[in-house]
Amino acid sequence: MGWEQEVQELERRRHLARQQGGAEGIARQHARGRLTIRERIDALLDADTFQEHGKATATPDYDGDDRVVGFVPANYVVGFGKIAGRRVVVGGEDFTLKGGSPNAAGLRKSVYAEHLALQYKAPLVRMLEGGGGSVKGGAKRGTVGEPVYATPRFRVIADAMGQVPIASIAAGAVAGFPAGRLVASHFAVMTRHTAQILIGGPALVERALGVKLSKEALGGAHVHAGSGIVDNVAEDEEDAFAQTRRFLGYLPSHIGERAPRAASDDDPERMEPALLGAVPREPNAAFDMREIVRMVVDLDSFFEIGAGFGPSQIAGLARLDGQPVGVLANDCTVYAGAMTAQAAQKYRRFVEMCDTFHIPIVNFVDQPGFMIGPEAERAGTIRYGMAAVCAAAQASVPWASIQVHKGFGVATAAHYAPNAYVLAWPSVETGALPLEGGVAVAYRRQLEAAANPAEQRQALEDRLRAARSPFPRAESFAVHELIDPRETRPTLCRWIDWIQPLLEELKGPTTFPMRP
Amino acid sequence: MNRIEVESEVTGTVWKVETAVGDRVEEGDVLLILESMKMEIPVESPAAGTVAELLVQAEDPVQEDQVVAVLEA
Repeated sequence: MGWEQEVQELERRRHLARQQGGAEGIARQHARGRLTIRERIDALLDADTFQEHGKATATPDYDGDDRVVGFVPANYVVGFGKIAGRRVVVGGEDFTLKGGSPNAAGLRKSVYAEHLALQYKAPLVRMLEGGGGSVKGGAKRGTVGEPVYATPRFRVIADAMGQVPIASIAAGAVAGFPAGRLVASHFAVMTRHTAQILIGGPALVERALGVKLSKEALGGAHVHAGSGIVDNVAEDEEDAFAQTRRFLGYLPSHIGERAPRAASDDDPERMEPALLGAVPREPNAAFDMREIVRMVVDLDSFFEIGAGFGPSQIAGLARLDGQPVGVLANDCTVYAGAMTAQAAQKYRRFVEMCDTFHIPIVNFVDQPGFMIGPEAERAGTIRYGMAAVCAAAQASVPWASIQVHKGFGVATAAHYAPNAYVLAWPSVETGALPLEGGVAVAYRRQLEAAANPAEQRQALEDRLRAARSPFPRAESFAVHELIDPRETRPTLCRWIDWIQPLLEELKGPTTFPMRP
Repeated sequence: MNRIEVESEVTGTVWKVETAVGDRVEEGDVLLILESMKMEIPVESPAAGTVAELLVQAEDPVQEDQVVAVLEA
């Protein structure tokens, strides 16, 4: 006789672990309009690719004869799987059990998720739903606290961000430590109607501050689309999974690999006629920068990230001749595209992410400068702005800048990295300050002394504007090329060919990875 | 009837009001134009409907998220 009895018991335990919170717990989850963690994993991954780690983890109840009578599965499910044929680690809380708050084995498995991704060099997808620790956990006897020599428990979370792509999905209430995990990601998405993200929930808030607010009012999608703690809002869980799959498609599996270049059926020589008139001749007329980006990059390849936060700055991933690129661009319909404190934070994080994963950056510049005014001063704009400038100044990735329209002030420096390939459109206007306002400051005495100050100011503005023509900059080799806007795509696609050896050389760690 | 509040995305001043109360508008039609950071920023209709209220006029200052018009859709 072999080990039939034990194997039978093992099969029973594996079966029980898959029951999650039982029919009742699962029905409750479904009634809230949410999937269970196992359904989520199956919906995210390629069919039948999940390889679970810890298939029989649980807290068992034993009877007097040491037989298992009851069985509470670990409330965290984790393992390998595949997305578009590429290996990932996926893990998430089982909210059908104990409200997602960790039980002993569940806690171990949730900490293991980052270790697994780091050890096997695979992207990590976290499916978050649950609260953090409970005070009940603190009432145990015996030794207390972590040993003094323990590694800080968040070290692995910080390290993972510099090694593998991490995407987090909030698909229910996410509070406490899980909320911290959520933002320690390269891409975070929440569902519009079923997710809330909170540091502390309604009971804590009422006790501490005396204000009564629902979970939704404290941390619903309407709050966090603008707070910047999630990048994107998804219509439902299916949309969140689709956005996560799409995001990972632009990134390498880890920093030792190159971002996957796909075959492109979009002609690299394509010249969009509409680009010629995309920037109006009137300097104050707004235009649609996203449309310009879409006309230049591979068709349907632009995936915008964080549109609701710091909206004067556009950030996203796209492809050029199949090569993944990071796209930065100014949206002149919001504060003329000025760098606000929020836009600067978004900018710095995005540059650091591209740097960490060696994704070349293409920058469509229409920068009027740092945002000014009383709100901007109170927001500490200049500090966040300089952080963005420094991120660009130390960037290691190949970088192309297209001077589309404005380029004024120190903020403009954030749009150039060392050895940037610089293209200019005829519509470009650059300098230390915009002429309107700038003339009034620089020529104050002369204007005050003039018989007709308004006329004199106009004459000065006209003369200086003429000197800002893009042709002298092209003659002086202050830009690589002054181009017909329609030539932007062919020119950038050639650049993509040139940078291939550089991308090969960049594989490995950067001196400064992305932090939350 | 659904009342839709149209908010300004930016702080600035009203340059021109392009519609009048009672006008039929389509999604994307320009309701008014603001000036902010020396750019002309159109405020577009978020849906098809009728202009029920215009809460600002030319040269009025507006704040971020201020309701500038109300549509009935």
